[in-house]
Parts: sequence; structure tokens; C-alpha cells
Amino acid sequence: MRRVMSLWLPSWPIERRRRPSASRSASPANPVLVADWVGGRGIVTAVDPGLADSLTPGMALADARAMAPQAVVLNADPAGDAAALARLAAWCGRYSPWTAPDQPDGIWLDLTGAAHLSGGEHVLAEELIGRLKRFGLSARAAIAETPGAAWALAREGSAGIMAVPEGATRVALAPLPVRALRLAAETAELLDRLGLRRIGDLYKLPRPALVARFGFATAERLDQALGLLAEPLSPLPPAPIRSSHRRFAEPIQRPEDLAAATASLAEALCRRLAEAGAGARRLALNFYRLDGVVLTLEAGTAQASRDPRHLARLFAERLDRIEPDLGIEDMRLTALLVEPLGGEQAPLDGTGLGDGGADATLAALVDRLENRLGAGSVGRYRPRDSHIPERAAERVPALTTGAGGTPWQPDRLRPVRLLPRPEPIEATAPIPDDPPVQFRWRRRVHRVRAADGPERILGEWWRDPGEPALRDYYCVEDEEGRRFWLYRAGLHQAGTTPRWFLHGFFA
Amino acid sequence: MRKPFPRFEDGMSDDGYVELQVASNFSFLRGASHPDELVSEAVRLGHRAVALTDHNSLAGVVRAHQAAREHHCRFVPGCRLGLEDRPSLLLYPIDRAAYGRLCRLLTRGKRRAEKGDCRLTYADLREHGEGQIVVALPPERCDAGFRAFLDELARDFGDRAYLGAQHLYRGDDAKRLQRLSRLSEQSGLPMVALNDVRYHRPERRRLLDVMTAIREHCTVATAGLKLLANAERHLKTPTEMARLFRRYPEAIRRTGEIAARCRFSLDELRYEYPDESSDGLTPQQRLERLVAAGVRERYPEGVPDKVAALLRHELTLVAELNYAPYFLTVHDIVTFARSRGILCQGRGSAANSAVCYCLGITAVDPARLDLLFERFISAERNEPPDIDVDFEHERREEVIQHVYAKYGRERAGLAATVICYRARGAMREVGKALGLSADVVQRLAETVWGWSEEPIDDRRARELGFDPEDRTLRLALELAGELIGFPRHLSQHVGGFVITRGRLDELVPIENAAMPERTVIEWDKDDLDAMGLLKIDVLGLGMLTCIRRAFALIERHHGRRLDLATVPAEDAAVYDMLCNADSVGVFQVESRAQMSMLPRLKPRSFYDLVIEVAIVRPGPIQGDMVHPYLRRRDGKEPVEYPSEALREVLGKTLGVPLFQEQAMRIAMVAAGFSGAEADRLRRAMATFRRTGQIGNFRDKFIGGMIANGYPKDFAERCFQQIQGFGEYGFPESHAASFALLVYVSAWIKCHYPAAFAAALLNSQPMGFYAPAQIVRDARAHGVEVRAVDVNRSDWDATLEPVEGAAPALRLGLRQVRGLGEEPAQKLVQHRASGYRSPIELMLRAGLGKPVLVRLAEADALRSLGLDRRRALWAVKGLSDDALPLFEGLPPAARQRPEAEVRLPEMRLGEHVASDYAFLDLPLKSHPMALLRRRFAREGVVRAADLAHLDPESLVDVAGLVLVRQRPGSANGVIFATLEDETGVANIIVWPDAFERFRAELMGATLLLCRGRLQREGIVIHVIAERLWDLSNRLGELRDPEGTRPPYAPTELSVRSRDFH
Repeated sequence: MRRVMSLWLPSWPIERRRRPSASRSASPANPVLVADWVGGRGIVTAVDPGLADSLTPGMALADARAMAPQAVVLNADPAGDAAALARLAAWCGRYSPWTAPDQPDGIWLDLTGAAHLSGGEHVLAEELIGRLKRFGLSARAAIAETPGAAWALAREGSAGIMAVPEGATRVALAPLPVRALRLAAETAELLDRLGLRRIGDLYKLPRPALVARFGFATAERLDQALGLLAEPLSPLPPAPIRSSHRRFAEPIQRPEDLAAATASLAEALCRRLAEAGAGARRLALNFYRLDGVVLTLEAGTAQASRDPRHLARLFAERLDRIEPDLGIEDMRLTALLVEPLGGEQAPLDGTGLGDGGADATLAALVDRLENRLGAGSVGRYRPRDSHIPERAAERVPALTTGAGGTPWQPDRLRPVRLLPRPEPIEATAPIPDDPPVQFRWRRRVHRVRAADGPERILGEWWRDPGEPALRDYYCVEDEEGRRFWLYRAGLHQAGTTPRWFLHGFFA
Repeated sequence: MRKPFPRFEDGMSDDGYVELQVASNFSFLRGASHPDELVSEAVRLGHRAVALTDHNSLAGVVRAHQAAREHHCRFVPGCRLGLEDRPSLLLYPIDRAAYGRLCRLLTRGKRRAEKGDCRLTYADLREHGEGQIVVALPPERCDAGFRAFLDELARDFGDRAYLGAQHLYRGDDAKRLQRLSRLSEQSGLPMVALNDVRYHRPERRRLLDVMTAIREHCTVATAGLKLLANAERHLKTPTEMARLFRRYPEAIRRTGEIAARCRFSLDELRYEYPDESSDGLTPQQRLERLVAAGVRERYPEGVPDKVAALLRHELTLVAELNYAPYFLTVHDIVTFARSRGILCQGRGSAANSAVCYCLGITAVDPARLDLLFERFISAERNEPPDIDVDFEHERREEVIQHVYAKYGRERAGLAATVICYRARGAMREVGKALGLSADVVQRLAETVWGWSEEPIDDRRARELGFDPEDRTLRLALELAGELIGFPRHLSQHVGGFVITRGRLDELVPIENAAMPERTVIEWDKDDLDAMGLLKIDVLGLGMLTCIRRAFALIERHHGRRLDLATVPAEDAAVYDMLCNADSVGVFQVESRAQMSMLPRLKPRSFYDLVIEVAIVRPGPIQGDMVHPYLRRRDGKEPVEYPSEALREVLGKTLGVPLFQEQAMRIAMVAAGFSGAEADRLRRAMATFRRTGQIGNFRDKFIGGMIANGYPKDFAERCFQQIQGFGEYGFPESHAASFALLVYVSAWIKCHYPAAFAAALLNSQPMGFYAPAQIVRDARAHGVEVRAVDVNRSDWDATLEPVEGAAPALRLGLRQVRGLGEEPAQKLVQHRASGYRSPIELMLRAGLGKPVLVRLAEADALRSLGLDRRRALWAVKGLSDDALPLFEGLPPAARQRPEAEVRLPEMRLGEHVASDYAFLDLPLKSHPMALLRRRFAREGVVRAADLAHLDPESLVDVAGLVLVRQRPGSANGVIFATLEDETGVANIIVWPDAFERFRAELMGATLLLCRGRLQREGIVIHVIAERLWDLSNRLGELRDPEGTRPPYAPTELSVRSRDFH
């Protein structure tokens, strides 16, 4: 006999975000509202249980605000809710091999033949609900012969854990309101208007009359709940196996053998990754030594990869660090972090750096350099959207995709080298905004032979008040032909000596 | 060789520099200063002339022109023209003719584009190029294309073409200027110095950055290079500009040269009325003939001497000022409307003249009314007469299209309304641009109730739990404050037409309105006033539609023919009714504030109604004039005048100024203002951003009155009142016209309540009350109200004769929520001898199932023997494809046979809930009546009982929340209205109670209020001390078994009118 549990998390979008890492603004003292913004208008999508007396989902945020000004409003995140629910469903796998998220706020557990392992349905349900409570999640559960009945009872049944014995489904459902049948809202509304308010009211109706007015879907939901019609549920896919393993007949010691074994492990792993449509970003290679010691090498890739030669090479250069001692009897290669990676279709357009793994050779080179020099040691510059010179470029990992939305500004005169922080100089310049005639930098005097400027750049006022004020930049060339980028901080003011800085070099 | 041009006359400063490239905030979101700020700052910096060049627009030129006139500065109107096939350029007309061409050019570009856009090509420019000075604006890179463009300009514009050059502090300015100078030599276009001004002072850079972010739909922090790198786009002194262009003194000198060549001034624009002469008669002769004919019609028994004298006086004045064509134009429009059976009524200072009465423009008989002030037309001020005409709301479009058709789109256009940022919108946009979270932005914006112009201050922010020291928040508050009052876009005036004799599109550019078939000029009513352009307001008024419908019903069912002028005057029964505050549905006096004023004012004559209309307005209330007036009227306070001079001004209102005209007259008579000054004062009040000026006026006003011997507190109150008038000032001349409609609608309500209710229902949405209250009120007046029925109802509500009694009101199909007019009309058309079954409705009337469901839910199938629930079951069972196999058989045979199903009987509570849900009104009972037994047990009294309870006693009263209001003038006090089966109770919630019971007040559909009873005459209030939200009892009403989810607000949908 089939036994299905429906778990209902009535405040899921609220409570999942109230958990420890919740948003900064959501102090536990204040009740929380979740709202979605539709064309500039806020609609409440979930309400803290503490506010449920006066507020309901679907009302305008402005109304909710007027009634509960103390509430903290979070933006709705249905995708995040769904993903977290899927994770929670997977976690429920400890109670049943067969679980599935029931979007948007429930979980299915098929307990057929599984409940006794936890001491029976009631014990299982109580423990599950207790654990969820410790997570900060309120939940209700019901167990019945059909998913539909379990769903209905979890939501509309009496408080406490409901477990409907075999054969009692029809009776148990009869007093519940019709909306417990998972009907479309308008169908439930229509039934209500006709005075057909309880599921039991529907038992009496001639089937053709029911179908004619409420559609096949309604009849089907009723049949599913009563077990007259099978309802398959789609479970979560099992987690893919992400490691390859090899046990050697004879312990191995020679570096060539280690390398060959690594290569074959990589090939096996890559086959599995290919089946899962994934590529590895972080890998661990374990060596199980005869003396019980486990040695580990880790490696990372700049982009997801399942090229066995490339993966093997990431370790090959460091295999000499492994002391085989008496010999290695076992090796395991595990992908610690994987990302989706499409099929083996080589790009035809030959696009270069960073474009979705097109230039695999470059990616491989970057990986090798990074694995040798240390993570984060290979980078490139990318233009940023700012007038402030030191903010106009940023260093990003070498294979970061995309240009960041801003093109380089070739029309702007910018030095080849920009000092990490501008260095003070002493300069002599006619007022109010002529370039300096000479300046002293690091105890050397430079006479200016030619100059251009000023380029006037103002601080970004919306940042901190300490933001640099006005700068007038000049490009100057000294008598030896060296070119510098200088600036005067602030406008010239009578009675004060303006401060000058050197910010970069042109050659 | 180019001729040398004269230097700019009028003692220019030595540098001779004129700012020629100036964008104001009328270059929407591209300029961060008002035109007048730019002009006055330019003057302060020592400029003697300044131009305005907004993007494809002349919308700001009148304001700049006025400011320039005030500061004795020369103003050069122009614009920055964007071309689709060439770089942008600046354009300045040198004379009136060229200005006309510029207007036509912009009109062409705007008429062919979407609203707010302008699409022009170089060919268009060349066609209108005569007399225009053009300045080419160099693009980022001056390539060969630009070179060719300059040659083109040289060829087409000769010595009227220049090359602009800007010093923008971009580092390469020296090189750039050099390159441009070379280009100038090669192309022969002289180089002219520009400054690309976007704001008047550098401090506005932040606001411009914010506006850029708003325009680009990003935040300031992510706008990056879309922002300008520095704050140099401000007005600079001539000396500073000369320094920046020190190597090119000629470029500086040429700015003065261009300003000197542009001789055109907006003062040259002359308005001419459309030529209304015909048949060889001059307009004045024609007018006199029409008036003479009108006199015979209006006064068949001979004209009263008073009116005859008035007519002579007015016609002389009209002749003197040459206003006859204007009156003829209005007369023509009104005649057109009358020929189509469209009801209309004029208002405004000139509208209540004897001439207008005889022309049929107004129905207010000058014999019935002490004619208002001599302000009919003020000869010395040479201000055009003011006539607005209200037309039936639903048919105004016909009148508008008639005006377009008669005068043509080149000669008639609607005035613009400049839509400005208000506090709320400014806060929202600025907050978003500064990257504040949607939540915070929303919260900040919500703090502004209604349409306040006041920026949100620190105290307010703290109240809301924000830290005003938070930098971003402070910036947001500050910048939002600056943005308030900035124009956001141009919209169309509600109905102000400008009609000209010559081409309108040579006076001002015309663009498409958002509404189809409408064209709008770029100037708003203040601009038009400033330029002396005449505007005729063709307005829509729902009450006129309602009155016309009521007249038609009365004619049909009572055989009595009426119009606005023939409704019997001064009927005591009508005034009795109004004195009892029995005014639901009556024009203007149906609001709660008016209802509580009526019993205190006790109107007994037409002029009392004029006062009633004007007194419940911000002006008199803020000026604290209401109570003194009422006391004097009741004889509790002697009527005295502050001075003999003011006796004349205030005589009719017992010495208390109530009308806008009076306030202005006080400024003139008592405070020594000239007429023009008084007018400026009124305008300054309307425009909050000139708050700086209000201080000056205040000193002058109060000082002037004290100097003339008036008490200081009286002076202050008068000034406060003027402040209160602001934009919403209510002049006596308008009040008089409205009072007539008050009287007429009250008369109909008093004598023909069924016709009145039917007309009101058929004119919805309109007025203050929903159909539920209109129906309740009609029943209270003894009208039998009959339900909507498929075999009895038309689309509109109708009257059904009753043997030996007044007709009954049959609700129309329009009352069925969600039912369209088209299926309803089909139903009526195919009714023949009546429908006998739902399937007939489907087959004969061709109605779809969703329509039948609505009808069933509205309980409109009773005449088929089906109550609501059984009708719904039957209708739902009809199959959509109506069994074509059996076509030809009688309808009954075409139904699928079905077993009988017994549905539970529908309870009264369910019916009432469904009536609300599908008809918006309770027909079978009031929900409170069904709940009364329990409420009575709990000691809750009925609204009708309040009149008999002791004042100051503590009462519990409950009802459906009809209205929640928080008037701006009431210091945060909230007024709510609760309705039960006996009537309404008025609740007052003080701010401290509101804070405690906010959720209850704002969320409840059914509210229980415990409070102190207050009674003054028949005006009753309950001052709330505690509130409970009992909405769930409504849910129980519908579903006593509790199978439904906890009550949801949408369920029993009583629609309240709320203040947010």
C-alpha cells in the first residue's frame, strides 16, 4: 500500500530568509513582509505569521504598510525560494529515498515501506517537524494513501499530524473545503458560490454535471485524491557520481605509474562528467598509502573543464611532491566543484579570450600558470565606468567573461602606468589654471618643456564625504623628453599654496 | 568677404560675451535650472544678454523672456535642433518672420513624431532656414562628414552660419580649439564661443547627475561615463569666458554679434482674435444683433431696467476694448453645442455678464443676482476677458473636434500643462537614482500625503525611522527638494484652447498630444497670460451630463420640459432640503465637508449657494474666515467693516473676505497694491518655488495694511487666505456659475428623486458617492428600486411607471460589474417578447457563457424563475458549442438532458455579499441589518440613533467603511464614514488614535468605533477612542460554516474612497 507524506511550510518565503544568514535589515524583532514589484506597485506575496491576522498575500504593499508600518519588507525571490525548497527536499532524503519539492511551499515524501525505519509514521513526522522547527521553519504534515489526500489534509485538516489509515481517505476528505483539492482558484470560487463547499458535497454530484461545469481537471483532482486515478510524482534526480577510483593490484611507486594512473582516473571522471553535462572547477586527487596515510593534491580550473589531458596535467607537474613511501594502493580523483558544461561542440567563430571556453588552449595555459604561481596570480584589466582615473580600470581574473559593459576610452589621454597612489610633488605654476613650469619629484627637479591640459575631474559626490574634490590633470613633458601625468588638487585659491601630485607616466 | 556687423548696442560689457548655448530644465532631464534662475544668475554675473536653447523646444522661452524683462536684460530665444541626418546645431531667429518659421519647423518635426519627440531632417531646416542664424555644434570627432556639413551650412546660410566652439576642461581643449579654428578658416564659418550651459551654478551638478541617471534608467553610481566629469557646465562671467578663449577674442566678440543680429523679441508677438465678422457686419455689429435677439428670447415680457443698463454698459466696454470677436467665438462654440443638444454653462469673470446671459453662454440671470464686481472686464489692466465653458463630460470631444474643424490645426490648439515633479515623484526618482532600495524609496515617497509641494524634512524622516544623518538619505532628501517643481513633461491642458486669426503655428510650436486627434501648443496657461494670448476653456463636467439625462427622463415620464434657465427659481422646498444636509448627489455640496456646512450656513437664496460653494475651500479655511462669517450670519457677532473702503469690497459677505476677487481687492484697496501687483501676488502664490518672493509680498501686504490703519491680525489673516487660495483660489464668478448647477441638481433631486438617481447612476463614475449610496439615498426618499433583470433592464437605469404612484427606478445592466455595453445592448435588442430560458439568452441574443455567468451572478435571471444560485448552475451547464446538430429545433430541445441536482438554498447573507460583489450595491438587505442582532447585543448603536443620544456620551457604532480622508488642511486628522442599514456615521480620528489603530482603520471593511459623540445642530461626529476591525463578520455572513479561508479583503468588496 502506498503511503505519501505531504509536508507544508506555510511561511516558507519568510522563514527561509529569517534563518541565520537572512538579510541585514531583517532584525528578528520586526515582522517581515515579502513583496513583489509589478510596474512600480508593490504587491504583498507573503506575510509573517505574526501579521497574518490583518494582512493577506495579494494586497497592495501600500495598504499593508499603512496597517503595519513596523514591518520590514523584503523583495520577493521566487527563484531563490524554489531552489532552497529543492535543497530542503533533498535534505529530507534522510527520511525517505524518494522525496520531491512540491512548489511553491511543500515537499513530498513517499514513505511506502520507509516509515518503519524511523519508528513508524508518527514518530517520523514528529521528528521531521521538530527538526524543521529548530531550523526556524514551521511545518505541517499529513500522511495518506494518495498525494492528493495528504496535500489536502496537511493544509486543511485539523492541527497536528494527520495520518489517515488505509481505506479511510474518502471519509477523511469529506468535511474539507473544496479548495483542498488543489483546484484552480476560480473553480473553487465557483463551487463556493453554488454552495458546494466541502469535498463531500462533490461525491453526490452526477459526474457529467460535474465535468460539464467544472471541467475534467476538477474531476481528475477528486479522483486522484480518492485514489481512483494514479498520480505519479517526479522525484529529485540522484546526485551524480563525481569521482573516479582505482585500486591497484600491486602498490605503485614510480612517478610514471602515478602519472599513468592520474591520466586514467581523469579519463574515467571526464566520462562521468560528460554524462552529467558538467565540467570540473575544483579537483582533489587522493593517494591512499600502504601505511594508511592519505595524501591529497588539489587543483582548480579557470573555467569548467572535462578535458582529461588538461585535468591530468594540472596534477602531473606536482606529482613529484607525493612521497609514495612503501607504495600507493589506491587513488581517487574527485570533482569538488562542478558547473554545467554543454556538449562537445567546438565553437566555429573562433572567438577569443573568455568567450565561453572557446579558447581552450589559453584557458589551459592560465590554469597551468595559476597552479604553479598560486591562485589569483594571473589577471587582466578591464575598463570600468568611472571618470576617476584610479577607478577607471579593475583587475579581474584572466578568464573573466565579458567586457564589463564599458569600452576603453581611447580618446582620453591616459598614462601607460598609473601610480597606485598619487605622489606629492612640489610644482610652480602660473595661476589660475596653467600647467606647471617645473616640478620636483623624489628630490629631482624637472623643467617642463611642453604641456597640455587641464582636464578637470571632480570627485564622485555620492560616495563618502572624504571623496577627493576637484583635480586638474596636466600631461607634461620635461626637458629630457619624459612625460608625466600631474594634477593640482583643488582650484587655485588666493593665499594658499596648491598641492600637486604625480599620478602616472606616459613612457 | 563678410560685412562687419554692428556690435551689440545697449552698453555691453567690454568682453561682449553672451551665453548662446543654454539648456534649461525644459530640455527635459538635460538641464538642471529653471529658465528664470538662468536669467537672473546671468544678470548677476554681469551679462547683459542671454539666450535659451532647449532641445527642440521653445517651451521655456516665455519664462526666460519674463525674467529677462524683469531684470532689464536682453533675451535671445532659440533652440538646439537635433537633426536625423546631420549633427545638432543651435538656431536663432533674427526677426518675427524667422521666429514664425522656426515655430513651423518645430511643429512639423513634432507633428510627424510620437508625443515628446521631434523628427527633422536637414531638408526641413533648409526649407525654413530663411532668417535663421545657425551655429554648428562640433561632434566628438570632427571628421570629413562634419567638414562637409560646414560647407553645406556655408552654402545654404551664408553669413548666418557659425561654428561653435566650447572649452570643456577635457584636457585637450587647446588642441581642440585650434583644430576648430582651422576648420573655421577652411569652411569660412566664423568661430563663436559657447559654454554648453546646463545649470546656472556649479552646485547643480549633482542634480544634473541625478537627472542623467533618471534619464538613463540607472543609478548615479552605475551611470559612470554617462555623467559629466566635472561641474563646468554652469554660467560663467564674461571675464572668465574671455580668459578661456583668450587666444580667440573674435569668438567671444561674435557672441555679441549674434545677439545683436537677433533683433527678434517675444514682445513682438501680437495676439489677434479670430476674425468673426460676416455678412458685411463688423464683429461689434454682429454681437449687438445677437444680444438684441437674445434679449427678446430671455425676457419675453420686456427687459428689466437694471439689465438693460448693464447691457449698455458692457457693450460699450466691449466695443472700447475690441473684444467683440472673442464673445462671438465663444458664442459660436456654445451655439454649436446647443445645436447638437449638448448642455453647457459658462463661468469666469466675463461669463456672468448680461451679454453672456443673452448670448446663451450662461444661464445665471443677471436680474436674479447682484452682479458681481466691476471685474467683468478690467479696462485699465487690458487683460483679456475670462470665460470658461463647461460642457457635458461625455460629449466634450465633439465640441473640441468642432473647434479644430472650424479653425484648422494651424489656428487652434490646446494649451499645454507643464507637469512638474511633485514631492512624491521627486523622492521616488531621486531615491532610485541614488540606489536606495525600492523599499526605502517607497517608504519615503509614501510619507507625502497627496500632492504636497513641501519637501520631506528631517523631522519627518526621523518619524519614519530613518536616520537623517545617513548621508545617502540626506542627499536624497536634499536633491528631491531641488527637483520638486522641475518640469517633467508637457501634457495637455484640460480644455484651454488658443485660437488665432493668423497661423498659430507661427506663434508657438504645436505638437501631438498623447490622446489621438488632439494637438497641443508648447506653452501653458501662465505663458499664455504673460504673452497676452487668449484662451477659451472648453471643459468637461459630468454633472451637466447627469442634468441633461434627468431633464430627458422628466420630459418622458412627467411630460415637463426644462432647461438650465427654466428650472423654477428660489424654490423653498429645495432650500429646506439643502438646510437638512440632504444633498447626496447634488453638485458640489455633496462632500462631507459641504454636508456639515449646509446646516450651519442654512442657504435660503441663490447667493447663499454661491457662498456655500466658495466657502469650503482651502482659502477661506486657512484664512480662518469661515467661523467669523457663520457667527455674523447667525447674528452672534456684529457685522462691521475694517474701513469704509472695505465696506464696498466686503459688503456682500458680511465683512469677511471669502472670494478670491475680494482678497485681491483687499491687496489693492487696503494694502496699496496696484492691479498688476495684485495679480503678480496671486501668481506667486500659485507657484511655490518662488517662496523667496512670497516673503517680500508678505511684508508689503501686511505693512501696507498696517500703514493704512488696519489691525495687524486682520492683515495677517487676509494674507494667509491669499496664501490658501494659491492655485485653487475660488473666485465669485466661478462660484456663481457652479451655484446654478447646485440649485438645478438640488431642484431635480427634491422634486424628481427617481429621475435624479437614474441620471446619476447613468453618469457614473462621477461625484462623491458610489451607486450603493445613490440607491440607498433614493430609497430613503421613497423611490422604489427594482433589481436588474434580463427581461426588464436596459443598459441604463430607467423609470418604470407605477399605477397611482411615482415611477420606480429600474436598475440598468450597466450596474452588473464587468458586463460590457456591447453584449448588454445585444441582449436588449433581441429581447422581443422576452427570454424564457438561459439557452435562449445564449442562442437568440448571441451572448457568450462568461456574459451569462455575470448576469446569473448579478441575480438578473429572476424573471426566468431562476434565483442566483440556480441560474449560475444552469448557465454553467450550457455547452459552449450549443449543439449545432439540433439547429432548427426549439431552444429547449437543444439542451443536453441532465439529472436534477438539488443545490443548498442560498442564504440572505450570501445574497447580500454577492450583490456587493457583482452589482456594487446591496439590494436585498444591508449587511449590517443581518449582523444587527449580534451588534445590538453588544450594545452597538445604529447611525440613525446618534441623533437622539446625549452629546459627549461614549458610543459604539459600526458600519462599512465608505470613505477615509486626510485633508491637507486638517493637521493629520482623519475623517472616516461608516455606513449601516440606517445611514452613515461620521468618524473623526485624531493623529494619536490613528497611530494606535492604524491597522484597524486602514484595513477594515467593517469597522467598529467607540468614541465620544459630538453634535452641533444636525451635524454629528464620533471622536474615535478605540477601533476594531470586524471585517471577519462579513465573511461569516457569507459562509457561516467557516469553510472559507479567513476573511480576505477582496471578498466582500465594498469599495471605499481612500486617501492614499
